[in-house]
Amino acid sequence: MSSSAAVTVAANARRPPKERIAAMGKVTQAVCEKDSKLQALLNVLRNTNEPISVRLAALQALQAASFAVVQFESRRADYLATLRAVATDANPELRQRVLGLLAREKDGFAQQRLLEGLEQPEKALLPPEKALQLLSYDIHADAYPVARTIVDNPPNEEARREALRLLSADASSKPLFERILNDRNETKENRQLSASALQSIAPEAMQTHARELLLDPKEYDDIQATSLTALTQFGSAARLEKDEQLLKRVDSLRSARSNKLKQGARRFLTKYGS
Amino acid sequence: MTVNLQINNSASPQARYLTWTPSPCRIRLTDPSGASAPLVNVTLTSRSSATGGGITFRKTATDTSSTSLSLQLPIDGASVSFFLLGRFGHPSVSDGDVSIEVRSDATVIGQMPVMVRIRKNANTLTPAERDRFLSAFAQLNDQGHGRFVDFRNMHTNAGSPQAHGAPGFLPWHRAYLLDLERELQAIEPSVALPYWRFDQPAPNLFRRDFIGVSDEFGTVTFSPSNPLQFWVTDGVPGITRRPFFNAVTNSANVISEAQTLSLGNRYTNFQDIGGNPHGFAHTSFGGSISSIPTAARDPLFFLLHANVDRLWAKWQRRFARFDWTVAASFDSNSSNPIGHNLSDTMWPWNGVTGPPRPPTAPGGGLAQSPCANAPGSQPRVQDCLDYQGRIDVAAQLGFDYDDVQLS
Repeated sequence: MSSSAAVTVAANARRPPKERIAAMGKVTQAVCEKDSKLQALLNVLRNTNEPISVRLAALQALQAASFAVVQFESRRADYLATLRAVATDANPELRQRVLGLLAREKDGFAQQRLLEGLEQPEKALLPPEKALQLLSYDIHADAYPVARTIVDNPPNEEARREALRLLSADASSKPLFERILNDRNETKENRQLSASALQSIAPEAMQTHARELLLDPKEYDDIQATSLTALTQFGSAARLEKDEQLLKRVDSLRSARSNKLKQGARRFLTKYGS
Repeated sequence: MTVNLQINNSASPQARYLTWTPSPCRIRLTDPSGASAPLVNVTLTSRSSATGGGITFRKTATDTSSTSLSLQLPIDGASVSFFLLGRFGHPSVSDGDVSIEVRSDATVIGQMPVMVRIRKNANTLTPAERDRFLSAFAQLNDQGHGRFVDFRNMHTNAGSPQAHGAPGFLPWHRAYLLDLERELQAIEPSVALPYWRFDQPAPNLFRRDFIGVSDEFGTVTFSPSNPLQFWVTDGVPGITRRPFFNAVTNSANVISEAQTLSLGNRYTNFQDIGGNPHGFAHTSFGGSISSIPTAARDPLFFLLHANVDRLWAKWQRRFARFDWTVAASFDSNSSNPIGHNLSDTMWPWNGVTGPPRPPTAPGGGLAQSPCANAPGSQPRVQDCLDYQGRIDVAAQLGFDYDDVQLS
């Protein structure tokens, strides 16, 4: 089947959805070359009477075609306009995918709607955790206040995690991440995320915390393994090779019960041990 | 009696890496004591463990390969040339896991460990291979402050017309991967870029100790020992990737390898690979990897593209499309945009900025390798076709795939 014929099948509402979805896999060339073919697929994507599986397949086919930048360029405006129109669709999966696409293009319309939904939940197009994740594609300081509010008063754990991730580009959030990293009542995920954020915005501080966490015999295995990874990957050889207290502690971890710790200790000592 | 061996005609230990392609080597006597004639007969063989790499020898680049090679070395210390190559199907698993041994009669008078460094299916890497790759990649990223920033900035909307939607798509990405791989090798020489076979399930890749596991919202989680947990791009830690397929049990939503290789025997047909499977592999996910401006934020992107490049290599081999002077090897069209013609230098390595090129050129020239002189710091499109040096041995780029033979 030619690419052009594939568009004809994919856009034909009288054909079975399975057949149309299969045809979507061959439409790229025609969509790039002929405006009428692009419009046919955009119509499928926009049409709320179409089966959602067919609309999602049309979205994937259009998205794949958009990778052919030079050929697709003259059609990009129509494509983005259609995505904006579908961003408020009743189907949550389609909304999520489309808003994700627009957010990655740093689309102002999508960013505004996502932020608005966080500030006024009754207007939210997506759950707060997903909205925060999408906003993190293009960090703006104007998202920080709402992210801080969600960290302090989260609707759920996932939203708090994504708010922390968004804030991890903000150097002034260093004290927040230090507090979470050192708090054993926080989730393992949030503590690991805080380690990563600190290693990025305050690497010296993270190296100090990693050392302290390793020397603390009451600390959890996963956090100690993360600390070992931070020191092994990004530590100062000149400093760590002379740190006898730490070397002794890591040496003892070679016989730890946790495989992750044993593995981490071996890597650390291979790099810094005598 | 002693000898000196040079692999890839270099004294550097960083040059002791081989592919399926013949590497130029030389040997000379450094201490001829005990020699009774102007020429000393020596035999070159290899020694390897059961899982180690395999190598073969050639007198000239086009000779038949042999498991041993007899040479005559002048006692005046003059060098004698030969070629060394990995034995197909026997890549190394660790650095120096195969050695060249040089004997005069029964006496070993020299040896040198080498590695058959080959791009492999990510799903089949040993834990040690995987960990070396991840460690090097994390160091290149260096929490968002490392050299990886340039690679991230090469693949954005601004530079995209140089790399996509026209015939230079495949050559540009071949150079891009090679540049990245050479930077990884500068950190850890035993690393070769693995590929993700997106038309097959990859349970060993989509794990927390490798490329990570996605939760329902697309946040990727890693094991505490995985250095990718410190991955940062654009100032934001972490990776977002939401597969629309079961990444452990199923393939991505792409056409098969057999279908890809049947797109046609001319490049004008084969370049449809840019849509399916390439575009469909990207869009089998939500998250960074599914859009051009953010795709390079996800390390999986590079494994995906290594497979696209491997498919091109397989197609080149099937239809003998290595020679850029053969019309069917490329789509030379007068309407090709700049950067997509055979003789064009490619952005950003050429450093050219301003319309019709992008406003900036991140990263400088393409990284050099002690194992291969090509393609130079400012590659042209045509420099990326003969990657194994079949047409011109000097054109080899210094990489190979585990399932793409030389002959």
